[in-house]
Amino acid sequence: MFSSPQIILFPGFVNAKYRSMKAVDVAKLPGAQGSLARSTTLGRFIEQYCAYAILACCAFAGCGRTEFPFRPNELHAASLVRESGDMDPKPVAADAAKVVEAWFGTPDAPKWPSDLVPEDTTIVVMEEVARCAGAVGRAEDEIERGLFRKHCVVCHGITGDGYGPAASLLAPYPRDFRRGSFKFKSTPVGYKPTREDLRKTLTHGIPGTSMPSFQALNQSPEFAEDIDSLIEYVRFLSIRGEVERRLISKAVREGMALDTKEPEAQQIAISVIQRWKDSEGSSAAIPEPPSLSDSEMAESIRRGRDWYANELTACVKCHGPEGRGDGPSQDYDEWTKDWTVLAGIDPKHPSEWKEMKPFGALKPVLDRPRNFTWKSFRGGGEAKDLFQRLVVGIEGTPMPPIARAEGGNPGLTDDQIWDLVHYVLSVEDDS
Amino acid sequence: MNLRSPRPKRFWAQPWFWAWAVTLFVFPLIWVGGLVTTHDAGMAVPDWPGTYGYNLFLYPLSTWLYGPFDLFIEHGHRLLGSFVGLLTIGLCIVAWRNDTRGWYRWACLGLLLAVIGQGLLGGFRVVLDARTIAMLHGCGGPLVFAYATFLALAASNDWMRADQTIEPRGLRRLATALLVFAVVQLVLGAQLRHALPDLPPTGFMSLVHLHLTMAGLLTLVILALAWWVRRLPYRLHQPLRGPANALLGVLFLQLGLGIATWVVNYALPWTEVSPSLARYAIQAKGYWESLIVTGHQATGSLMIAMSVWMVCRVARRQAQLVANSHSYTISERQVVAAGAK
Repeated sequence: MFSSPQIILFPGFVNAKYRSMKAVDVAKLPGAQGSLARSTTLGRFIEQYCAYAILACCAFAGCGRTEFPFRPNELHAASLVRESGDMDPKPVAADAAKVVEAWFGTPDAPKWPSDLVPEDTTIVVMEEVARCAGAVGRAEDEIERGLFRKHCVVCHGITGDGYGPAASLLAPYPRDFRRGSFKFKSTPVGYKPTREDLRKTLTHGIPGTSMPSFQALNQSPEFAEDIDSLIEYVRFLSIRGEVERRLISKAVREGMALDTKEPEAQQIAISVIQRWKDSEGSSAAIPEPPSLSDSEMAESIRRGRDWYANELTACVKCHGPEGRGDGPSQDYDEWTKDWTVLAGIDPKHPSEWKEMKPFGALKPVLDRPRNFTWKSFRGGGEAKDLFQRLVVGIEGTPMPPIARAEGGNPGLTDDQIWDLVHYVLSVEDDS
Repeated sequence: MNLRSPRPKRFWAQPWFWAWAVTLFVFPLIWVGGLVTTHDAGMAVPDWPGTYGYNLFLYPLSTWLYGPFDLFIEHGHRLLGSFVGLLTIGLCIVAWRNDTRGWYRWACLGLLLAVIGQGLLGGFRVVLDARTIAMLHGCGGPLVFAYATFLALAASNDWMRADQTIEPRGLRRLATALLVFAVVQLVLGAQLRHALPDLPPTGFMSLVHLHLTMAGLLTLVILALAWWVRRLPYRLHQPLRGPANALLGVLFLQLGLGIATWVVNYALPWTEVSPSLARYAIQAKGYWESLIVTGHQATGSLMIAMSVWMVCRVARRQAQLVANSHSYTISERQVVAAGAK
């Protein structure tokens, strides 16, 4: 006879994907034993025919589709082949996509290229990547999966290319991870961000942009580990995307064969992965802010103003004399220049940039320098955050790192950089 | 005491009671369904109609209440949906026993089928893990709500006693257009909420523009309706003011919620125009953010229900006019004369 609350009155229908994955585990559940064992003829009939009926009704909309592939990097291929003119970028991009799929899998089944580089948790924790991949939901083990599609995909896209459904309506556009460049990080230009850097962006969000703060996840015990998983997935997508990008570059420029067995291609993948490994622990040292009296602070701000106007720092060029972000030099970020300026396209002319639209280009938008009077700092508004912005710059943007006087090199000392930070924090709207 | 008069039935034996009960419970069901979408919790329970192998009604209470939040709302949505199904069965029984109108009985049965259909769509959304079915399920909910509202209105005193007449001056057409626009707007909103990951940005942008255009159109239609109801000859028709005022209120609430929904999801594209916007960081899955987004969806359903209310009030009075060609018709001249007195 049935016992207590585990009675099953109806035959249960488990999602086919999970049923195939977890049938054994489901059968072990006390209630599920009945569910699966007593899957009656009537139940099977209803399951089968109702599913067909619903599928038939919805076929026009393609509602049975749950798997989505990574999007080949046609924009990069198109920007490279533009000069040659007679080359079609799509086959190159498709071939490169095949190679990276063989190494890194699909959005539903990501994998690590263990035959090239052994799986290493200091680079990417694949267990966490698996949690973020695939469709949103919980399997019978009650672990939530599909975190990237739940939290990120509508802006960053399934490929992490910043070409999600909402991308074109956002300002600034969502980050394309495939360049391997990240704006707000503690490591020098050319280095990858650390896990802590990505955690900071995910936790605090980016004010004034569409990048939200996921602080609410941290505050909930059941979702506290989600941010860790998302960090791993972002690293994974970035590695995968950068390998794809470099393969395309090499194939177009030097005619390299796009094949998993090609030694040069393998070397590209290994070098990209190695750079992520090398970047952990390469954060620039940030000293503690000096403790100053009011008069000392006023003096520091005055000195900072001088440094601000100094040619060595050249802050005025972009941020303007009053720090309103209205300097004469206004430029595009590297993500935009990558397929415009570098491909011989003038981003100001729609007739030129629109030829790249079919490959996934969004309208070029100027990367506006910060208006300091608004006290809105995207990488963090604390004094230490600004010090870090000054010494490592903002990668992929016109904001360069300030030369730091270290080991006899010319540049600003830490005290002088603090003066500059104090000035930037003190800028008010006089109007 | 008049012994020949029919014995007054108890309130629970009246169709209006059950119809209102269904309507009042469908609205929170839409809220919880909206929360499921906001938190992407549709697949928090991977099996159906059971919950993790348990019968739906026997899933351990403590696991449900103290388990993961997405499981809490998804299982709660299923329980509430089942309860609405039971209420609808009650409505059908009472209507078949106590309502003499044949069409009303069949309409109640139709509601039961609609509720079952919604349940099946919800179930297959899980079994097939298909977001498009989720979208259909999301669109079906408000339509069931509108249907239940219609049945509640059709069982109301106003429906039974509506003997005033309205000249067909386009009000009915405008009210019907409002209902159609509200449903189209809901479908557009559902498309945005359930956008597939590979929808190109141009497609999403077109949907947003359509959604905004339809919002503008709805605003114009509701303002026109409200203005029309306040002028002659409808000024004397008190019953029309209720839905017109409710529509106005819901419209302003919905416009505010719509803007807020975009801001808490994506921020405004012009954050560089003011310091406060430039300093604002969106809080993903925050309490207020979830409430705003879900509220926008639920208020959209409310707007459809209010439109049904308006259509019923207007159409019922016009139907009386058509049914009885000798009925009294208020002309503008008579209204002016009444006002002068």
